[in-house]
Amino acid sequence: MTEAREIFSLFELNQAVREAVKLQLPNRYWIRAELSEVHPNRNGHCYLEFIEKDDSNRQIIAKSRGIIFANTFVLLKSYFEEQTGTAFTAGIKVLVSVSVDFSEVYSISLRVWDIDPNFTLGDMARKRAEIIRRLEQEGVLNLNKELEIPSVCQRIAVISSATAAGYGDFCNQLENNAYGFVFYTKLFPSIMQGERTEASIIEALEKIYVHADLFDVVVLIRGGGATSDLNSFDSYLLAANCAQFPLPIISGIGHERDETVIDHVAHTRVKTPTAAAALLIEQQARTLGELEFLQRGIAHRIQSLQQQRHALFENICQRLIFIANFKTKTMLSNLETIRTSFAVAVSRFSTGKKHELSMMEQYIQLVSPQNILKKGYALVLKNNKIVKSVNGIQVGDDLQVRMADGSVDVKSIKK
Amino acid sequence: MAKKEKSYNESVVELKSILARIEKEEMDVDDLSAEVKKASELIALCRGKLFKADEELKNVLKDLEHE
Repeated sequence: MTEAREIFSLFELNQAVREAVKLQLPNRYWIRAELSEVHPNRNGHCYLEFIEKDDSNRQIIAKSRGIIFANTFVLLKSYFEEQTGTAFTAGIKVLVSVSVDFSEVYSISLRVWDIDPNFTLGDMARKRAEIIRRLEQEGVLNLNKELEIPSVCQRIAVISSATAAGYGDFCNQLENNAYGFVFYTKLFPSIMQGERTEASIIEALEKIYVHADLFDVVVLIRGGGATSDLNSFDSYLLAANCAQFPLPIISGIGHERDETVIDHVAHTRVKTPTAAAALLIEQQARTLGELEFLQRGIAHRIQSLQQQRHALFENICQRLIFIANFKTKTMLSNLETIRTSFAVAVSRFSTGKKHELSMMEQYIQLVSPQNILKKGYALVLKNNKIVKSVNGIQVGDDLQVRMADGSVDVKSIKK
Repeated sequence: MAKKEKSYNESVVELKSILARIEKEEMDVDDLSAEVKKASELIALCRGKLFKADEELKNVLKDLEHE
């Protein structure tokens, strides 16, 4: 007995499957998965492979092909990269809205309509957190931060791509700094995007390490170009190298939103290469400011010391003048006293003398012949000579008797 | 061999101690002028480090890649 067999063609079966899929999975569904392949083609469509791994992250437990049609892909890609700072590339985890398409020829394919960048951001953040936790456990997370940027920070090891616009900006800004500070930059070229970033930067760090005594600081810059592809900087190995590097590292990887692990372990994080240059210039300006502060302090101190000394000197002069004046006055006054007493003495003396003189005068007046004559005496003269004895007179001599009021001629008649 | 030049930090430390000394006010006028001379030399040295390029260092850095 033969059972009647219903025979379908493959096409018929696939058609049935398509119908079933359409019936059972008619909507769009948000799924989370890892991108294992991303291939944009010439028409602008993007072919993908989604996978999901088990908890151990080794075994693939699901796999599907997917497609983003050109008109969607153009918008999704830029939106995603702008939001996450990450390239839409294999290796990232995504949350996408898909419809399940079944074609008789190509079988099942997930058609992507929308993407949620926050999921990827969250996943990246989780990875970063993981690395940071590990560095913390190893006790190296803050080692670079604990280093001190020297006050004179002018010998700069630069890790960058030699052709990056950001590197040029950095050097220009340092060279043309408004203060005229001198800086010495040395480029250690490195690949700054893509898979080889990690190894290339580590290699550059090792070269700098050999000459660490020639440098004050390391600057890691990436500027210019797309803000995407920061994944390479979220690497444990690179972070561990940076954290334990003996010179302070300034990271200016050139992105606004997210902090990579490198930013986290670096001594200082800035947003752009230009900002890194500005930071170094500011550091020198601060150092110069301190120097000028000291200089002013010393100058001011010296000035005030001189002023003090000058004031002291002035004071001494004033006192000297005062004392001199005082002494002079005293002496003058003494002199005056002496002069006065002298004058008194002199006048007293001359008064005495005057008196004596007048006494003498009186005496002389008293004994003057005129005065004696007035008292009644008379002078006898013979031939105009005073006769003092009778012996000089002969009888018959002509004599003259002079009295106070006149004289008379007489004749001697008897002896 | 030439005596090694004072480092910036050493110079600043010395400047600070000069300032501290002249602040104590027990300084002789003659000592003061010596200190002032020393201070201006140190300041010139420090400014030189900030503003004047060291050709020797430039050459050392340039030659690094040839090693």
